[in-house]
Amino acid sequence: MARRLVVLAVVLLQLVLVARGYRADHKEFAFQMFPESSTWRASVVRVTADGRRVPVGVPWSGYRWDALVRDRGLSYPAVRHHADAGLENQLAFLRAALDWVADNTPRDRETRYLEAIVTAWHNADAPTREVLRSHVRERKG
Amino acid sequence: MSAGALSAPRRAGDLVARLDELLGRPVSMRSLALLRLLAGPAVLLHLEPFLSDALDGRVYSDAFYEPYAAWYPELPEAVYVALLWLAAATAIAMSLGVLTRLATGTTFAIVAYNLFLSTTHFHNNRAYLVIVLGLLAVAPCERELSVDAWLRRRQRRSPLDLRAPAWPLWLLRFECSVVYAASGLSKLVDPDWFGGTVTWQRVTRARGELEAWPLPDWAVSAVTDRGFHTGAAKLIVLTELFIAAGLWFRPTRYAAVWVAVVFHVTIEASAAVQVFSYLAIAVLLVWAVPSTRDRVLRIDPSAASQRRLAAVVRTLDWLARFRVEPAAAGSPVEVVDRDGTSVRGRPAVALALSRLPLTAWFTLPTLLIPAVRRAR
Repeated sequence: MARRLVVLAVVLLQLVLVARGYRADHKEFAFQMFPESSTWRASVVRVTADGRRVPVGVPWSGYRWDALVRDRGLSYPAVRHHADAGLENQLAFLRAALDWVADNTPRDRETRYLEAIVTAWHNADAPTREVLRSHVRERKG
Repeated sequence: MSAGALSAPRRAGDLVARLDELLGRPVSMRSLALLRLLAGPAVLLHLEPFLSDALDGRVYSDAFYEPYAAWYPELPEAVYVALLWLAAATAIAMSLGVLTRLATGTTFAIVAYNLFLSTTHFHNNRAYLVIVLGLLAVAPCERELSVDAWLRRRQRRSPLDLRAPAWPLWLLRFECSVVYAASGLSKLVDPDWFGGTVTWQRVTRARGELEAWPLPDWAVSAVTDRGFHTGAAKLIVLTELFIAAGLWFRPTRYAAVWVAVVFHVTIEASAAVQVFSYLAIAVLLVWAVPSTRDRVLRIDPSAASQRRLAAVVRTLDWLARFRVEPAAAGSPVEVVDRDGTSVRGRPAVALALSRLPLTAWFTLPTLLIPAVRRAR
């Protein structure tokens, strides 16, 4: 009885995760391999309190974007990249990375938020543009 | 109440009873023991980038990462790094079969913990590795091909039953099939994939790398042609679906395994997939019929070539398919299959080699040769 329940639970869970992969940004255990040929690039800037837009390619307050964001093909966003696990997955990572950098750069006292202007090519479709923003940073001190 | 209404619950009850019998039937754990042995190197390969970073003083939390849940426990850096090294040690112990159950369970726990630390850690091959380790951890696959079993024999303790309930094996077969089915299905329902756009774009963007390969110009032109991908993409999708379904049926199982190996070697040559190719090929072992020593190889000990064949079979018979027995002088090589069918001479050699993990891929096609087929 217990054995049967464990097996059925695992089978059901796996099937749910496969189905979930068609909607979720992160497709854990959905096993959708090489899903797209989509590519993307982004102009990522820091928007400061006085309204300046400073590219993150320029180090700031002792930080470097490529040292802060090392994974998932996000280190050099200005270069057009393949979206390895699909465009939605890639942009979800970029969105999360903007928030993480906004939260984890305490020496930076001038940035209000980070912004990425993304140009994305879904497979052979025409390019689309999308603006992603981090949350607005709290002013400290 | 009608007879049909009465028989429906009985049929459901029969089905449940059959399912219980299938899951609880004692079967050989040999293929899982061999997979356990092969899973250790996969874990080490998987851990290598994490350990390399740790040696350079970096861990995941030093750069962008995204926890799955706020409540998920994050350890102090030193403890986290120590856990990674512990996982490397237990992976080796798991392969060797030292304190096997503990080592396998620990390896699974740490690899799974690390995977779920951050969405950025997630890759399909790592998910597959966690599934495999989880099922190895619950399967009693330490009773053979292990230092534990060797020590038990040395201490002259009574040997443990090498068979155990089949449910972990069935689950692993299910997961193995799902990997191909889910991948194939996602491509089948995507018009860009099934129509060839995705592969065509990927290949044309990599044309520079392709031209660096020792390929003739016509071949490069062919594989970068849009029309080629209209057919090739369908072939890829159907290959994945064939593997997923073909593994379940005896008449197609060997073909599915053979195709799967080609498929993974091709992927490994054309893409960076971490431990996926190695792991996926290793997991194919679980499709071997879970019984051991149920085929007989009879050799004439006075014939050098037959002695060599026996030595090869004894060395490479990692799934313990064969009993090797002496035959009368002057007899040809003979293989008696598990259904009692007897094959002699060269077809017997082909059949024997086709049942050994290392030589199977090379010799399985020879079973299609008419003379060999007739002999069976």
